[in-house]
Amino acid sequence: MVSIIYVEPSGKSHAVNVEEGWSLMQGATANGVDGIVGECGGSCACGTCHCYIEESRFAELPAPSAGEVDLLDTVAAELKPNSRLACQVQATAGLEGLVVTLPATQG
Amino acid sequence: MFAFDPYSPVVDADPFPFYKTLRDEHPCFWSPQAGMWVLSRYSDIVSAGQNWQVYSSAKGNLMTELPNRAGATLGTTDPPRHDRLRGLIQYAFMKRTLEALADPIRDIARSTAQALRGKDRFDFIEDFSSKFTVRVLFAALGLPLGDEQTVRDKAVLMVQSDPHTRAKGPEHIAAYNWMQDYASNVIAERRANPQNDLISHFSMAGIDGDRLDEREVLLTTTTLTMAGIESLGGFMSMFAFNLADYKEARQAVVANPELLPDAIEESLRFNTSAQRFRRCLQKDLTLHGQTMREGDFVCLAYGSGNRDERQYPDPDVYDITRKPRGHLGFGGGVHACLGTAIARLAVKIAFDEFHKVVPSYRRTQEQLAWMPSSTFRSPMLLELAVH
Ligand code: HEM
Repeated sequence: MVSIIYVEPSGKSHAVNVEEGWSLMQGATANGVDGIVGECGGSCACGTCHCYIEESRFAELPAPSAGEVDLLDTVAAELKPNSRLACQVQATAGLEGLVVTLPATQG
Repeated sequence: MFAFDPYSPVVDADPFPFYKTLRDEHPCFWSPQAGMWVLSRYSDIVSAGQNWQVYSSAKGNLMTELPNRAGATLGTTDPPRHDRLRGLIQYAFMKRTLEALADPIRDIARSTAQALRGKDRFDFIEDFSSKFTVRVLFAALGLPLGDEQTVRDKAVLMVQSDPHTRAKGPEHIAAYNWMQDYASNVIAERRANPQNDLISHFSMAGIDGDRLDEREVLLTTTTLTMAGIESLGGFMSMFAFNLADYKEARQAVVANPELLPDAIEESLRFNTSAQRFRRCLQKDLTLHGQTMREGDFVCLAYGSGNRDERQYPDPDVYDITRKPRGHLGFGGGVHACLGTAIARLAVKIAFDEFHKVVPSYRRTQEQLAWMPSSTFRSPMLLELAVH
């Protein structure tokens, strides 16, 4: 299990134990975290699991695929340098304690 | 001795008691009848779906695979090939692209529903859902009109399996071959006269400068037609089945069609029409004390994960206010359904229009004839009586 801290749009934060190998999207939807939709089920096809990664740790993540970069251009909330699609980031031991902030809208 | 046989008509009719025993007592179970392991808990299925490096789809994802299909379609390839193939098709099924289809879908729904006016009983499948789904899929894929009924019948046959031989029967293979010939004619026609539609683009596309393999073009087109028509029609009959039985849910969505999306999600969870898919292990793996070997097949029982009390409280209660996020009705991970957006859009519009003509209905038959299929679950006939 990897502890991930999700900050909902309301500002409320949840520390969730996410199974290693699950995506940050699955960790959120399976544990009742608000502010994330994940309409396409994690196949990188919808852009409704947009999140902001803790800035100081952004560089620890593997780079996004071309498909993710294309979809990031379509997200509903403001695109920031630390934006990612949560379905494309896997929870790994190295990400213990990562803070993931969810935008006000997913469109 | 507990047994789980996905070919048994008893499982077609009601897999849920078996799933409960699987989850509680045998979370990693070898089924000799299926010739594969069965994973039944929500979290194990999510983990497996996420881990395509170990749980590969390249040897086929249907529980009873069709000959020569594995390796040539989205559902039967692994990344990176899978992602490139999907990249060629995905745009056509994205929510934004589909907005243009909303009006045509509504017209189809309206005219199909109108034909039910005045009837006091009818078969929901024959008289509504199959007519609606073929026309919607033909519009979405840009297929030439004319053969809709035959295409639908073959799509439904090719996903079935024979409960006695536990394999595809000659009639199922014949339907599959028919569908390949059909797809091959459409592809040839579109190459000769390209249109601005999915099959024209796809049949002339390439990956990294290489033309797609002919088998990929053919089987992907064949599978899209099958997956689109059978999965959408099958789910619609399960949704009608739930709304016929749960009167309060039906009254709520009839009174306020804005509730349809929540009801659709709950039916995807509660009565998962795409019950079981399979993967092939790429290395030995020990789970819940069982060691599975490289090369073994593993069934991901989405229909069971969706009823797992470890994830959903009171899982056997149908509750349209539940909002079951993260459900497995469309699978999950890289292979999550390509058709989620069109399926949600089409089902919502279909029931909105259907309810304008038939707002109140019930099932006439206590026992339903269930489709013989190791992968999908839906009734063959769903007669409804209008109140
Ligand atoms: C409510 C209706 C539908 C349901 C319940 C459904 C269910 C599913 C499920 C569970 C999977 C995952 C299979 C696996 O894990 O191996 C899947 C994959 C797929 N579905 Fe659907 N489906 C539906 C409608 C559609 C439609 C309308 C289309 C096409 C127009 C479609 C095309 C596909 C394709 C191409 C895949 C493979 C995706 C990949 O592997 O990347 N489906 N579907």
